[in-house]
Amino acid sequence: MAIKKIAFIVEKLPYKSETSRLALTHAIASQTVEIHLEDGDNVEPVLAFVGDGVLNCLKNQKALDIYGVSSLEAHIKNALLLDLRVLVCKEDLEGFGLTEDSIVMDAEEIGGEVTTQVVPYEEIQQDLESADHLMFF
Amino acid sequence: MRLAVFVSEYREPEMLERLKAEKLGIVLVQNGVYHAALKKDGNVSPVLSKDVEYYALSEDLQSRGFSDSDVVDSKIKVINYDGLVDLIFNDYEKTIWL
Repeated sequence: MAIKKIAFIVEKLPYKSETSRLALTHAIASQTVEIHLEDGDNVEPVLAFVGDGVLNCLKNQKALDIYGVSSLEAHIKNALLLDLRVLVCKEDLEGFGLTEDSIVMDAEEIGGEVTTQVVPYEEIQQDLESADHLMFF
Repeated sequence: MRLAVFVSEYREPEMLERLKAEKLGIVLVQNGVYHAALKKDGNVSPVLSKDVEYYALSEDLQSRGFSDSDVVDSKIKVINYDGLVDLIFNDYEKTIWL
């Protein structure tokens, strides 16, 4: 009878490898795992983008048109739709000269209610400490 | 020789510093396009510091959420797949991937 908190930390770039996409699909899948667990057990995921990983969150990715694969942008919107906590490191975003306007902040068009949180790394560090398991992608 | 060097990662390939050619072209593709579209902590990528021809692949820029006009330096020519084929056949004798 417990809730296990899993932090999915994405620090890799998208597309060249499948790594960051795996992070998203694992994090999203963790929201449906409840049906396989005992009553009272559950998984609480948090998804955090740090370092080069913040570039997964850029808007207007045309990967579906050009590569024929779903964009990381679409996966992040799905994560928001499922009420995942999505964190983006503020310092790393600013390091690339990017702002909240440059990244996926919500999934309103598909009915999502939660928004991406741009937070200082210190806050992500606190999530790392409070998580039961860490998964780096 | 006329050498086209494909850079497909967002890190500086060590070999890049050592390569010499009469005509050297650096073609930024896949994750290499981040060199063309981003400044890190306000600085352009060291990959762009050479006095050579630079190209960035439009399709790879757009897939990652950038537009062709996002390139950080006007010396970078944005080309598409067709343009890349022309470049390889017409402008360079050899190509390598770093």
